[in-house]
Amino acid sequence: MYIRNDRPAPGAPVVDVRHVSKRFRLRRGEGRSFQDAFINLFHRRRRSRGESHFWPLRDVSFQVYPNEALGIIGPNGSGKSTLLKMLAGILEPTEGTILVNGRISALLELGAGFHPDLTGRENIFLNGSMYGLGRGEIRARLDDIIEFSELGRFIDMPIKHYSSGMYVRLGFAVAIHTDPDLLLVDEVLAVGDAAFQNKCMRAIYEFRRRGGTLILVSHDLGTIQAVCDRVIWYEEGAIQAMGEPTQVVMEYLNHVALREEDPAPEEAASSVPAESPVPENHRWGTRRVQITRVELCDDTGTPRRVFVTGAPMQIRVHYRAPHPIEDPVFGVAIHHQNGIHLTGPNTDLSGLTLPTLQGEGQVVYRIPALPLLAGDYTVSVAVHNRADTEMYDYHDRAYPFRIAPGQNRERYGLITLGGSWEVPTGPADACTPELAAKERLVG
Amino acid sequence: MELYRFRVLLYYLVVRELKGRYKSSVLGFLWTLLNPLLMMLVFTVVFTVILPNYAVPQYPIFLLCGLLPWNYFSASVIGSIHSVVGNANLVKKVYFPREILPIATVLAQLINFLLALLVLFALLLIFRMPLSPRWWMLPLVILLHTCFTIGLALILSAVNVYYRDTMMIMDVVIMAWFFLTPVFYPLDVLPRSYEVLGFSLNVHRLMYILNPMASLINTYRDLLYLGTYTEMDFFLRTAVTSLGVLALGYWIFVRLSPNFGEEV
Repeated sequence: MYIRNDRPAPGAPVVDVRHVSKRFRLRRGEGRSFQDAFINLFHRRRRSRGESHFWPLRDVSFQVYPNEALGIIGPNGSGKSTLLKMLAGILEPTEGTILVNGRISALLELGAGFHPDLTGRENIFLNGSMYGLGRGEIRARLDDIIEFSELGRFIDMPIKHYSSGMYVRLGFAVAIHTDPDLLLVDEVLAVGDAAFQNKCMRAIYEFRRRGGTLILVSHDLGTIQAVCDRVIWYEEGAIQAMGEPTQVVMEYLNHVALREEDPAPEEAASSVPAESPVPENHRWGTRRVQITRVELCDDTGTPRRVFVTGAPMQIRVHYRAPHPIEDPVFGVAIHHQNGIHLTGPNTDLSGLTLPTLQGEGQVVYRIPALPLLAGDYTVSVAVHNRADTEMYDYHDRAYPFRIAPGQNRERYGLITLGGSWEVPTGPADACTPELAAKERLVG
Repeated sequence: MELYRFRVLLYYLVVRELKGRYKSSVLGFLWTLLNPLLMMLVFTVVFTVILPNYAVPQYPIFLLCGLLPWNYFSASVIGSIHSVVGNANLVKKVYFPREILPIATVLAQLINFLLALLVLFALLLIFRMPLSPRWWMLPLVILLHTCFTIGLALILSAVNVYYRDTMMIMDVVIMAWFFLTPVFYPLDVLPRSYEVLGFSLNVHRLMYILNPMASLINTYRDLLYLGTYTEMDFFLRTAVTSLGVLALGYWIFVRLSPNFGEEV
């Protein structure tokens, strides 16, 4: 059941989703004509019922409170949009109750609620009327909407000639200017250019400053973390995790990375492969020492595929030396996905002399705090002799990992230097030369 | 009521419907006035020259009093059947009370009907027909007629979402209904009673009971053509039927509409 209440009691949740399930028929169009209905009279009992349905939501419950910003993440086809459409009242829950307190603006799809033959200006009125606004109310907001949309003279052109970016600008401009209590945004903002996205973000901050509630579905995890107070990771018809944004995003990314690597993680965990699965074109060397396995671990020693900026990391290199090897050197390298070689430490450069290798063992390289910013990286490992004349085994960029944007909000470049900012106070003439220079840089 | 909050949307949908109808036609809006005149011409030629069956004085007026309400009704019903399915892009993406869609179709037809009535009034003046002393009942009749039409439009547009055959079936039903309603013939040409399996049926009475359109058109004729009183108890029965159909239609529509989002 879907209930909308325009005048909520104070303190009540804006959205209250209780035990909501949604069932879709798999075969669209079934039973759409009398002919089908007639045929089904005879077939219904024979067909097993479970096959023809699927459930994008099963027993989902959550609340969203006033002025909260909730992010929803999850892979394509996980049911996020279905959930949002149910919140907007477009789809009816099969089971359970959705209660929405307050006025909603929903930005679900590009150009939804627009008529292609009408001009931008006429569509503002049409679209506004779909949010339940009167003509006077729309007229009062008209100038603001046109200005925000940056459409300028195109506002009097039929919108069928608009680009997708223009659609989104107009759609968002109307939605944000209807003064909703709850704003639902599904991904569409990704269509706009960077300048307009920034403008939307500012508008969303302003909207929230005025007390508005936001539910945002996006694949842009950076935006989700920047905007939202709480994140739901939604997949396979259920809430997988809900809570603090960075934590949920990390869990989600880790899950994604594991699945990318191996579609059946349970099986892989139980049987460790005897030989490392590095493809031959990424591997060379005499193999007098073999690198059998490489693990990227957090500080507890748990293998992970996703790390955050500033987190510790261990690169564990497992080797096997059938015959004694004297004076070996182990090294690792980290590359950014665009090919930049970021670092390449090895045991020799660190002044370490290793004992003679014989049999199996492992070497660990510890990074106390990863200075890398969000992105995809690869680890290479190598073992060679001290003179670097014989390469025993080299795994080139064979071990990918991902850095998720964490608490660190730096996003320009590849690394963070961990620096800090200060603005010295006091009269300017009292500055030492070096402080003055520093201030020039800051200013 | 939520419908009131979305009245502006209703207004835009009605305007869109009216604009869409005369888009890229040369005479455009004039057709609203021309169409009833041409139809009148056709029927008058057929039933006074080719098949002169009924001795009805001032046949063109007699005909228009039935034909205009009928056209309003049938165009509304046929148009509204498609109103929800045809606006699938809205229904699937935007929240608004779905009943606005069939209601907008009917209201657009109502505006056409009112304009066509102006033509009829002009003809009444030309033919020097007396006006009924109860002419003030006309708006009331139009209102009841609209209620009945909206009721039916709600039912059919909702059912059509689930069974697209509705459209095909209704094409035939409307045609049969047209012939079963005394639009172009006076009810008097039908036999007063008819024997079926030994039962004697009062055809005139049955017609009014089973066919609200017959009652409505009869009332229009009383007021505009005959210039007489229309009987109050007859009028009240028609009113109850019309409001009953509206209530039933609304009930059915509200029950079915939550699932439109995925069914259209």
